[in-house]
Amino acid sequence: MLDITLGQYYPGNSFIHRLDPRTKILSTLLLIVAVFLANAAIGYAVLCAMVLFIILLSGLPFMLVLKSVKPLLFIIVLTLVLHAVMGQGEHVLYQWKFIKVTEEGLQLGVQMAMRLILLLMISSILTFTTSPIVLTDGIEALLRPFRIIGVPAHELAMMMTIALRFIPTLMEETDRIIKAQTARGADFSGGNLLVRAKNMLPILVPLFISAFRRADDLAVAMEARCYRGGEGRTRMHQLAYRSGDVMAFVFAFAMIGLLAFLRWGPKLV
Amino acid sequence: MSIKLEHVSYVYMPGTPYEKEALKDVSLEIKKGEFVAVIGHTGSGKSTLVQNLNGLLHPSKGKASLDGTDLSGKTQEAKQARGRIGMVFQYPEHQLFAETVYEDVAFGPRNLGLGSDETDARVKEAMKFVGLDFETYAQRSPFSLSGGQMRRVAIAGVVAMNPDYLILDEPSAGLDPGSRRAVFAEIMALYKKRGIAIIMVTHSMEDAAKYAKRMLVINKGQIILDGRPGEIFLKEKNRLLEVGMDVPEVYKLADALRAKGLRLPNEITDAKLLLAEVKRRKGLK
Amino acid sequence: MEPVIETQGLKHIYIDADNNQVTALDGIDLQIMPGEFVAVIGANGSGKSTLARHFNALLLPTEGSVKVHGLDTLDENNLWRIRQDTGMVFQNPDNQIVAAIVEEDVAFGPENIGVPTEELRKRVEDALQAVDMLDYREHAPHLLSGGQKQRVAIAGTLALGSNCIVLDEPTAMLDPKGRKEILDTMHKLNREQHITVVYITHFMTEALLADRVIVMSKGKIEFQGTPKEVFSRVDELEKLGLEAPLSAKFAFELRKSGAKLPPGIITNEELAAALA
Repeated sequence: MLDITLGQYYPGNSFIHRLDPRTKILSTLLLIVAVFLANAAIGYAVLCAMVLFIILLSGLPFMLVLKSVKPLLFIIVLTLVLHAVMGQGEHVLYQWKFIKVTEEGLQLGVQMAMRLILLLMISSILTFTTSPIVLTDGIEALLRPFRIIGVPAHELAMMMTIALRFIPTLMEETDRIIKAQTARGADFSGGNLLVRAKNMLPILVPLFISAFRRADDLAVAMEARCYRGGEGRTRMHQLAYRSGDVMAFVFAFAMIGLLAFLRWGPKLV
Repeated sequence: MSIKLEHVSYVYMPGTPYEKEALKDVSLEIKKGEFVAVIGHTGSGKSTLVQNLNGLLHPSKGKASLDGTDLSGKTQEAKQARGRIGMVFQYPEHQLFAETVYEDVAFGPRNLGLGSDETDARVKEAMKFVGLDFETYAQRSPFSLSGGQMRRVAIAGVVAMNPDYLILDEPSAGLDPGSRRAVFAEIMALYKKRGIAIIMVTHSMEDAAKYAKRMLVINKGQIILDGRPGEIFLKEKNRLLEVGMDVPEVYKLADALRAKGLRLPNEITDAKLLLAEVKRRKGLK
Repeated sequence: MEPVIETQGLKHIYIDADNNQVTALDGIDLQIMPGEFVAVIGANGSGKSTLARHFNALLLPTEGSVKVHGLDTLDENNLWRIRQDTGMVFQNPDNQIVAAIVEEDVAFGPENIGVPTEELRKRVEDALQAVDMLDYREHAPHLLSGGQKQRVAIAGTLALGSNCIVLDEPTAMLDPKGRKEILDTMHKLNREQHITVVYITHFMTEALLADRVIVMSKGKIEFQGTPKEVFSRVDELEKLGLEAPLSAKFAFELRKSGAKLPPGIITNEELAAALA
């Protein structure tokens, strides 16, 4: 019942949902590169259109994806404001004492904010359309070659799976503990930093104890189900590239090409 | 003296795809001194209802008040009013945090701004109520106790706030029959001695029948039945079954006996009564 | 016939947080036969959960022995075989689901033992079908009801190929509807697939339909027998912090008042018939 959507799978069977997780992870990285290539309004317009197109393909509600921006909204606004007031430039739009907002500064601020918003939306599409276990399979498969240099691919992947599985459970738990202590008259708002930190103890102690208890229970349950690390494990969903994956890669590289062209290519206008 | 809900609706996560109306236009008054059982299946809205009753959730529409004071207010008065309504959550032992039993029980009274003497007296009294010997347990870590004892410490923590209204969400969940009986004996002692109101959310028809004087049946965010448990179990059996509830065993036993031709009066609400009646009919003493 | 589970002089002793030596199990001799539905009841702290964990080699005997399908749990080579044959379902439905999608969670066990992909899919589907959760295969577990979560956990053991399922208070955290779902599911699996069931509970009513009821107290088996035999011992149960069904209590009281009733009354209908 909590207002957090980050890192949550939104079940579906769209083209995007069905893509191989490796494709989605790599394409997400490619699209992030594309975002960093954009440096003018036209580039951002293309990227926005692209994100819209992907959301349409994925069948996700637009508002759901947009809401993934919320946790970082403060930073985005801060970025915008800082760039706007600190930016150098000729065209002064507004001046009050030594604070001046220039057109160039504002443009840069908007660009930076857009960049953050696009990054958040693109990566949240990845987590919304890929179930945590499949995502983990993908990461594990991509990391496998690095095992030679000692990267514990399976263990990392399993840790992530469990973390993702327990986020909603622990959020609910936190909500419950906060309510219980509030009902006992606890006040979490007043006082200086030290007082506030002390006031958090009645939440943090039960939360940690509960997390440890859950971890303990889960470890026993996993052991009871014959878990013994990655050795000899099979998978219900074997990863396999299909034609859709090829299309996705072509699309991602095309976006990089397009954005690179818009940046370095001959000016169209 | 009463808690009042007037046309209260509550919506979770409004404006999102997960939007859910958990309470629909509920009006209710609970007076001091009442013992109310709240029953309904999981997701019926009973948890939302009780959280609106003590100001933990604020109605999306309508008003929740205690003796006229709006429970969702930010004033000192509203805060004080909320302090008069205690709430023991499900598995309350999971909210213990302090190093000693004493410190945990004292948390509530201290938040009320009480001095150390008054706090001390409250802690002692509360521990006595839940049957924990002060000398033995006050300085022990709550985490070294058994599950049933931890539950008692948690209940003591709320009792120590001297609430006029005490809300209990499934106070006996996860306990064996012996510990259940003990916890309920303590709750009843508290109820009788202090004359407070008890509002108890429960899945157990037996407990509702045994302890409560009034019963609310919640379904799909609305109160569909409100009355004496004995009367509801007797007259509304079909309605209860329809919404996934049940009647206590003693009613079923009485029905089985009637089906075999034993003549019994209608108003059989507890086992002692039924046993006496059966003995009388069969000429036993 | 070889017993599914056999314990001989099983003792479990551990050191608690205050450095005291605690005897959780004190000489348990027990045989559970294939196809049996055995209910284990006892107050909190009677040792019933500890016993359950010995059946899956999650705990090992301090003294005595536990054999599962004739395999000794103390022999480490038997470990994975034992855990496949004897599945476990725990009390807290939230803390035993590993994956964020129902069918992936059911697949977790068989994946661990290296079942090939094709067979794995079939096993997961059959297991979900058996607990009537196939429609939920792509759901997120944290949005399911408690009873549904526990049925997913049961499916997880079936997919592992277990022919014996040990459930450790599976309904303690569920509402009455969820409790009924789990009990019905286990009786159905016992009847139709001949799964051996060890069902630990402190809800006495859940033990009424078992083939055998074992009553535990202070790490020992206090007494055992058919539900009729066990639940007729009304005052002994009361002393152990347990409770006989209402009809058995009535029969007990009526007999004390001189009524001539046949033995073994544990349901309302039996009492009504005897009194008619």
